[in-house]
Amino acid sequence: MATFFSDWYYLSIRSIKQIWRPLLALIPSLFIPLFFFVVNSTSLSAFSKVPGFPKVSYRDFIAPVALFTAVFFSSGNAGIELAQDISNGYFKKLLIMPISRLTIILGRLTEVAVQAVMQGSIVLILLLATGVRINTGILGLLAIFAMLILFAMAWSCLSMITALRTQNVRLVQSMFVIVFPFLYLTTSQAPMNLLPPAFRLFATYNPVTYVIEGVRALVLNSWSAPAIWQGFLVASVLFVIMVSFTLSSFNRTLK
Amino acid sequence: MPDNIIEVRNLKKTYPGGTEAVRDVTFDVRAGEFFGFLGPNGAGKTTTINMLVNLVKRTSGDITIDGLKLEEQPREIYRRIGFAMQEVGLDETATAREMLELHGRLYHLPKARIDSQIDKLLKLVELEKVADRFTQTYSGGMRRRFDLALSLIHEPKILFLDEPTQGLDPHARQLIWNHLRDLNRDGMAIFLTTHFMEEAEALCNRIAIMDKGEIVTEGTLEELLEKHSAKSLEEVFLSTTGSNLGDEEVNLNASDPYARARS
Repeated sequence: MATFFSDWYYLSIRSIKQIWRPLLALIPSLFIPLFFFVVNSTSLSAFSKVPGFPKVSYRDFIAPVALFTAVFFSSGNAGIELAQDISNGYFKKLLIMPISRLTIILGRLTEVAVQAVMQGSIVLILLLATGVRINTGILGLLAIFAMLILFAMAWSCLSMITALRTQNVRLVQSMFVIVFPFLYLTTSQAPMNLLPPAFRLFATYNPVTYVIEGVRALVLNSWSAPAIWQGFLVASVLFVIMVSFTLSSFNRTLK
Repeated sequence: MPDNIIEVRNLKKTYPGGTEAVRDVTFDVRAGEFFGFLGPNGAGKTTTINMLVNLVKRTSGDITIDGLKLEEQPREIYRRIGFAMQEVGLDETATAREMLELHGRLYHLPKARIDSQIDKLLKLVELEKVADRFTQTYSGGMRRRFDLALSLIHEPKILFLDEPTQGLDPHARQLIWNHLRDLNRDGMAIFLTTHFMEEAEALCNRIAIMDKGEIVTEGTLEELLEKHSAKSLEEVFLSTTGSNLGDEEVNLNASDPYARARS
């Protein structure tokens, strides 16, 4: 058992180093969420005056989305790196080591969690600097990161499953665009009651909506908001389902 | 210690598309032996070696490594084997030293032993001066040499080598040959697949030639020359494998998902 944890640790360290190698690769996933935040909070600020909009500024309304997006955008890297390992043959070297194969996936998930905290923290500091406040305090902040980490790990599994099933780096990279419909067919830009009916239907069935609403409730509301536990529930269920599928794909790849 | 360090019985591999890559292959490798596995492209050499190290699932047959059944104790076997593959798979975002350290950790070696192994192996493959450079900056020859070092970090009893000198210039090839001779002299059993006749002649104690998924002949160099009334291993090779141009390789690789990914 001790070797299981030490294998997980060393594989995690290897994966975590890949986050900043090269350092420049970090910039887009930090810049783009902030870019959208600045552009949207400026150009759509009048939206907060529309009847039915919550009693908050538009900047505060979309601040949780910037936090979420920073994590969302970066969670695909684990799959890309896994696909690279497979395509260049390094993955095979790992397979013939006296380690549990589960630790290979856990190492990648740990990388996702660390990157989520790193990128989320940078975006959070910048949001706080612009005057955004977290209503649920320090505990709420921890809850936000817990929810984001769970979701990021679940979402990263999608790219890892693609990597394991196709062994194709380009295909895994192209999966990135799926982020956009999942991000925009939600309440990220407007509350549910102001969405057109068809859009509302998509948003209702889109799990991302519940995670965004959960983070938003932790930023804007109090602990009594049902959106918080709903967000945790959705992120946790997604995590369990996606990790199970990833492990199943992993086992299938070896046959 | 068993006399045979590798025992293979009735090994078969049929890929999902129906291609029979390996057909009822049986052979032994003795402890401390340098065993050459020759064959034209597509003969089934790489599939066989991948089955021996558990990277490809066999259709049927038994594999015993150092007295252990592959299906029963794969991790124990992984501790005893090293494998330098045909494709030099390196972590491009890591330095050579980092990779060696990681592999030492994953083989659960004590830190002091990892450090001494790193120094010894980097010296052995003449990469001490570039040990802290990212492996993506290495030339083809450096990558091959480093891959060999990586496969030796845990001092395996058996070293599997799949075309280890392919694409190397004569100097780099000679360097690797010398290292392999030294390792074998120190008692390491080496299983080498190659289609370079001179490589097998220069290194191997015993040679098996494979064609179309079957072993067509086996013995020491002298035995093979006598058995086939030949003057060279190349003559033995040509007389036993005919004019196979390796067209099957395309089909075999098409059944390998990793090969599909590379293409």
